[in-house]
Amino acid sequence: MSDVPAVRIERLSKSFGGVEVLRDIELTVNKGEVVSVLGSSGSGKSTLLRCINWLEEPDRGSIHIAGQRIGIDASGRKMRNKELAALRARTGMVFQGFNLWPHLTVLHNVMESPVQVKGMRKDEARRIALELLEKVGMVEKADAYPYTLSGGQKQRVAIARALAMSPEVILFDEPTSALDPERVGEVLQVMKNLSAEGYTMIVVTHEMEFARAVSDQVVFLEKGLLIEKSDPETFFTNPASERVRRFLELA
Amino acid sequence: MNGQAWLLLLDGAWTTLWISGTAIAIGVVLGLGVALLRMARIPFLDQLLVVYVSLARATPLVTLVLFIFLSAPTLGLNLDRNTAAILALTLNTAAFNAEVWRAAFLSFSREQREAALACGMTDRLFFRRIMLPQMVTTSLPGLVNEMSFIIKSSPAIAVIGIVDLTRVTNRITAVTYEPLPPILAAGLLYMLIVGVLIKLQAIAERKANRLAM
Repeated sequence: MSDVPAVRIERLSKSFGGVEVLRDIELTVNKGEVVSVLGSSGSGKSTLLRCINWLEEPDRGSIHIAGQRIGIDASGRKMRNKELAALRARTGMVFQGFNLWPHLTVLHNVMESPVQVKGMRKDEARRIALELLEKVGMVEKADAYPYTLSGGQKQRVAIARALAMSPEVILFDEPTSALDPERVGEVLQVMKNLSAEGYTMIVVTHEMEFARAVSDQVVFLEKGLLIEKSDPETFFTNPASERVRRFLELA
Repeated sequence: MNGQAWLLLLDGAWTTLWISGTAIAIGVVLGLGVALLRMARIPFLDQLLVVYVSLARATPLVTLVLFIFLSAPTLGLNLDRNTAAILALTLNTAAFNAEVWRAAFLSFSREQREAALACGMTDRLFFRRIMLPQMVTTSLPGLVNEMSFIIKSSPAIAVIGIVDLTRVTNRITAVTYEPLPPILAAGLLYMLIVGVLIKLQAIAERKANRLAM
């Protein structure tokens, strides 16, 4: 069913210790779409992303991944770890700090989840991992350990690792914020290629040019509220909200 | 020293090795178990383990060996010398190992767990495939260090009549009336054993450095 959205978020709210960081967020991401999430720091962008794969447990609202609700099962109970893990496997995540597993080579970082979580045969997982490393331009480093790589290289491996589970959606949490300026381009280029290939992506970022060039939707969060949601052209040239206008002037 | 004396020495070295080796093998695993239980912070059990670790680390090995050997009959246990020695060494080394393992737990980054969960791993799978292998690598230098400590402290087991590598030198001297050659030879054998461990530690440290990113 191609009309089931990759991600559907309804009335999502989340508080930390009495402080509301997300309030009644509504967002639908269709298959093949790229959605950029903008906003100043502390606006709830990362929390929103981390609720989608339930790394943070929302207080209210619902999240569906390709039509399946995550976190709460059909009878309204909280999912057990195993069920939750199975649904998380349908999303991929790329972190600001890469979070590669340092005891595994590049190849094995990418192969680990397909083999251990999906039970894929090793030769099959290796073939797919090498294809993905080719895609992110890291195949010649397949046998290297993460500590030998630059930040940009680590992040490209992390992207390949996220792709290895064939996720319905890839969540990018400020993927270029921890990189040296000259390394940002290589990661953004990989992400552009992915969007051209039709991957569904939700990207929390401060890279305005990327958001404008690649996104299908741009959303803006302010103090936990989603205050603007539009196509990139409208967002960057004629935003509805005064707050976004000021944000763009300063950016 | 004649061939007979060398045979006695090697016999003593073997006693030191197998008793310490058994205690080390059990102590490494037991230490991990204690560390795991302490990380779980189970009320009462946690306090109990804190008391055990503090007591075991504060008690001199000779005292612990004597205490276990002499108190066992009172508790209705029939321990032979070797079992009592292994038990004492194990209780001592496990307490130190627990602290080494616990340090590895505490310094483990939350981010790696999140990456594992995001890939669809359960906590169990994360522990087995991601966390434990790295904990072994980062703990190994400390664990090997403790292994050489326990071997160097193992002459304490002679106090209950076990003829280990140190004790056997007295026996040889009693016949030859020359104390220096056997004790020098024993020293050489200790250096060999600990030397192997130090080599192992160097390799472990090199491997551990890979994880520091």
